[in-house]
Amino acid sequence: MPMKGRFPVRRTLQYLSQGDVIFKNSVKAMTVNYNTAGALSDGARRFVFFNVPQIQYQNPWVQIVLFRNMTPSPFLRFYLDSGEQVLVDIEDKSNKEITEHIKKILGKSKETLEKEERERKKLSHPATFGPKKYHLRECMCEIEGQVPCPAVVPLPKEMRGKYKASVKNEA
Amino acid sequence: MSVPRGAVHAKWIVGKVIGTKMQKTAKVRVTRLVLDPYLLKFFNKRKTYFAHDPLQQCVVGDIVLLKALPERRSKHVKHELAEIVFKVGNVIDPITGKPCAGTRFLENLSDSENLTEADTTYLSEKLQELKVCSTEK
Repeated sequence: MPMKGRFPVRRTLQYLSQGDVIFKNSVKAMTVNYNTAGALSDGARRFVFFNVPQIQYQNPWVQIVLFRNMTPSPFLRFYLDSGEQVLVDIEDKSNKEITEHIKKILGKSKETLEKEERERKKLSHPATFGPKKYHLRECMCEIEGQVPCPAVVPLPKEMRGKYKASVKNEA
Repeated sequence: MSVPRGAVHAKWIVGKVIGTKMQKTAKVRVTRLVLDPYLLKFFNKRKTYFAHDPLQQCVVGDIVLLKALPERRSKHVKHELAEIVFKVGNVIDPITGKPCAGTRFLENLSDSENLTEADTTYLSEKLQELKVCSTEK
């Protein structure tokens, strides 16, 4: 039973999380003006169809507005926090070129992303156990090589408190 | 505790004006793309904001950019009009700077009618030079 729609792969979490354009914190809104007809606007149309969902998934707090057939030339416009506006002409560019360009001008660099990842990791201590929200693992039994969970595999007799108590009583 | 700007989360938003019946205030509809959790598709979700427009220069149908005010102006007005991005009926294409309507320009793009005598003689001389160079080769 296949998924409904023209390119239903666009509606999968794996595809959405593959988007690699993560905007800098100063980008607040993005406006895409494109045309529904015309060969020059083809890259823009593909960009809206394939890449805008990825960008919105990775940047949930950036407002993205789409305008159709308002001007003869397709373009992108970014509104930054400082009031600055960035105009990007996307006429006669393929959708891949457009994503590369905006990643270069307004995307967070790999170093920034790695630094943020490291900061986030520092907050959680990997050696503690507890609820999934705050810790990596919940119990020692999850780790390979340790005693497995007694709920899944019964403990050997010697480790059970019942047996140990009976041995002590005999002796 | 410092609150430099925004008693509100949205600092800069783009929306369409839907009402101007209030004095010096514009009712703006802002759409954001929201992911449906089951279909995993993005749909437009609307929200209306009230924006302070002191010169009453907005008309219904304009596309405007709103800026968050540092503190609330009244119970509902938390933004002000920063700029009108596209005026209804008078859209200017930002790439060329010419007025346009839909997918066509309203005025003629080529400037051949505005060339003066000096321009035409200069251009024809340049053409002559190019012809001479090509024949030499």
